[in-house]
Amino acid sequence: MSITRRKFLGWLGAATAGTTLGNTANAASNKHFSGYPNSMGVLFDNTRCIGCRKCEEGCNTVNELPAPERPFDDLSVLNTRRRTDAKTYTIVNRYDAVSNVKVKEPLYRKVQCNHCLEPACASACFVRAFSKTKKGAVIYDASVCVGCRYCMIACPFEIPTYEYDSAFEPRVMKCTMCSPRIEKGLLPGCVEACPTEALTYGKRTDLLQVARARISKFPDRYVNHIYGENEMGGTSWLYLSAVPYKEVGMREDLGVTPAPKLTAGALSGVPIVVGIWPVLLTGIYAMSKRKEKIANTETKLAVAAAVEQANTEAKANLKSEIEAVNKMKQKEIDNAVKKALEEAAKPKEEDSDAQPEKAEKKPSEEGS
Amino acid sequence: MKKVKARLSVTGSVLVILIVTICLTCSGNYGAKGPSESEMQQRADIIRINSMQKFGKLERPAVPFLHQKHTEAVAKKNKDCTACHLTQKDRLVFKYMRLEDSTQQAVMDVYHANCVACHQQTAAANEKSGPVVCGECHQERTGLVSVWQPMGMDKSLHYRHSKAQNEKCERCHHQYDEVTKKLFYAKGQEGTCRYCHQDVTEENRISLQQASHLECINCHSQTLAKFDDAGPITCGGCHDPAQQKLIERLKVVPRMQRNQPDTVFVRASKSGIKDPKQATRMKMVPFNHQSHEEYSDTCRVCHHANLNACVQCHTLQGTKEGKYVTLEASMHRLNVNMSCSGCHEINQRAPECAGCHVSIAKTRQQDPSACQTCHMADVVQVAESLQQTDEKELAAMYLAAREPMTDMYAASDIPENVEIKALKNQYEPVKLPHRKIIKTLSNNIKNSKLVAYFHADKNTLCQACHHHSPAAQKPPNCASCHGRPFDERDPSKPGLMAAYHRQCMDCHDAMGLEKPVATNCVACHPKKS
Repeated sequence: MSITRRKFLGWLGAATAGTTLGNTANAASNKHFSGYPNSMGVLFDNTRCIGCRKCEEGCNTVNELPAPERPFDDLSVLNTRRRTDAKTYTIVNRYDAVSNVKVKEPLYRKVQCNHCLEPACASACFVRAFSKTKKGAVIYDASVCVGCRYCMIACPFEIPTYEYDSAFEPRVMKCTMCSPRIEKGLLPGCVEACPTEALTYGKRTDLLQVARARISKFPDRYVNHIYGENEMGGTSWLYLSAVPYKEVGMREDLGVTPAPKLTAGALSGVPIVVGIWPVLLTGIYAMSKRKEKIANTETKLAVAAAVEQANTEAKANLKSEIEAVNKMKQKEIDNAVKKALEEAAKPKEEDSDAQPEKAEKKPSEEGS
Repeated sequence: MKKVKARLSVTGSVLVILIVTICLTCSGNYGAKGPSESEMQQRADIIRINSMQKFGKLERPAVPFLHQKHTEAVAKKNKDCTACHLTQKDRLVFKYMRLEDSTQQAVMDVYHANCVACHQQTAAANEKSGPVVCGECHQERTGLVSVWQPMGMDKSLHYRHSKAQNEKCERCHHQYDEVTKKLFYAKGQEGTCRYCHQDVTEENRISLQQASHLECINCHSQTLAKFDDAGPITCGGCHDPAQQKLIERLKVVPRMQRNQPDTVFVRASKSGIKDPKQATRMKMVPFNHQSHEEYSDTCRVCHHANLNACVQCHTLQGTKEGKYVTLEASMHRLNVNMSCSGCHEINQRAPECAGCHVSIAKTRQQDPSACQTCHMADVVQVAESLQQTDEKELAAMYLAAREPMTDMYAASDIPENVEIKALKNQYEPVKLPHRKIIKTLSNNIKNSKLVAYFHADKNTLCQACHHHSPAAQKPPNCASCHGRPFDERDPSKPGLMAAYHRQCMDCHDAMGLEKPVATNCVACHPKKS
């Protein structure tokens, strides 16, 4: 196959243009997903949390998780900084040394899945094991999970955990916002258990209003920021705090871009690359193959024509030669006849036998 | 063979000792961890010598100088302040060994020559001495923590001074004459030092720091020379929080006299109150100046810029001198202690008030009827009455006409205990000592005049818990409003469980009650038997 450099670059250019053009439609749009309408959420207010761990207990009960090593009413557990694990969807941590002297110490922070509006875990999952329900929960389907744990790497809040001690069917474990319960109209386990409504459950839009109202009613009690309103493109779980969020261990460096958007540009190229490039390359291959075929056929035809021509020419030559030979033979015969006639009396038989033999041999040599 | 063994063991032990020593010294020298806060020396006398700063950027770190340490060292040598401070007109100048900062080189030389010379002499006399090498004085990190606290003159201290000075106010108070460029004393024009002496030195006035040290220490040291007893002359004497507490405070301070009114109408215009057209349309506020003097440590709390009437700067429309804070704002602004409402609100943060007030939003907007607690005197009436009566008397009359609310329900009308059975599936009913709680709350506040005038009704106290419903002797049940939590139609209203818990816990928290602990369920909810 023969592709010139110029042609190759031309195709490459066409391919690139195709890829980028397909992409711009999304990347340049100002579309922002602000959550499903009427989706639910929870507002955690750390000025109301008393650190009783009832939410942990409620979560454990409704999700039928294994009993913890130390009972839930053992508050000395709070002396160590903990995180969620495969057997614990939510934990409460205590923060003693907070800067603001106005605030009565300690403060507590509840940790669980924040149920992003556009979840990073879902965008990282290539088998679509994660999905955002219309009610707001980010749920996980173990039946399709291949255990790659990309979700665990993708989550900016370090929430999904893995059943490392399960040898056969390990699952990714995380808070489900009690999705089965909220579908039935029940409260999430932790919310139901909270004695002080440090957890407020409701429509996310309502919760934002409730949170703003609290800030404006008690401006010196709260930091004027609702965590989760815009973090990572917004989360269904919202937070109010008496101190800057980083002082209670929450990341303030996340930005407001939803995780999927960070990778959308590159990933949106994937279908195009996967879809177009094989077709394109096959096309290029087919085209060059076809050319080759055509060229081959043409050559064959040309050769055949040439052979034909040669044959015809040869035949013509042969004919003329035969004719010439025949002529010569005739001439010789005539001469011989003449001679014989002249030598009438002399013996004529010897010469007339030899000459016809030679004339028969010649055409066969030419044809080969 | 034995010899070899012995030699080996000796070498071994020497090596071990060497290694240990090296490790110890290394960790001493190179340990990255600085001293923790508790290990750091706490001092109130740290002065950063940065006199060179006015000549440009410092070439080396400013020198942390421990003044008290030097005062003591100098005293040991039987020398006094003049060992380091020059005098001018019999008064010490609080610059080191010079009267003024002339040039960069000169100031630098003063320190380098004199400090180092003294340190060298002391060292030569085999006494404990200070550094002579650059880096030992010019240090960034010192391992010292300053506990320095600002010093102020409260009413008690002021009275003790004026008594000691035989009420010769001119000993301290003065004013500046622009024309003669001299200080003079004007009787009846005294103000606090801070009205003129600000944080930094301005053209014709030195900074408060300079002024106070110059005046206070000079006077104290002169007094000390004549008598046994005088005010502090050391840094810690005024600025160490521990020593500040030792300063005698009079329980009853005789009233300071500076032509201030006893009772007065709050002026709404500069032109006076006799002309009703000049005044505001609002009812006028008779103000008990005398009693408010008692509530404050200094005049400065309210009179933050001068001792004039508020309206001189804060007019109805606002003026440039008043930073365009209107009269209305100057009286009602929250979160500042110089406005009426601001100070009253700050008072509500006291534990005996905070229990209830913690859950009441801090907004300026109150029930309009509350305005009349202060705004009680009709403008026209006041103008007419002033034809016959003195303003002071009239204001006093209005104030006396107020009736402090001291009424309370009879104990028999207050339920003694209230049983809360909302969580009866999990626990025994909660026995709320209802009467005891009310008794404690009302006892806590019974001596407060602020309460007496602002808790307008005998139901007011009840309404901290029995809120958002008409005040009544038998208010509605909590469950009448608080039911299922997270009602979509009213998402900000707590459910019954949270309403109870937050009402109790927030109040206990704000009052500083440590028991029962919020997380100890069975302290309130007895276990089910």
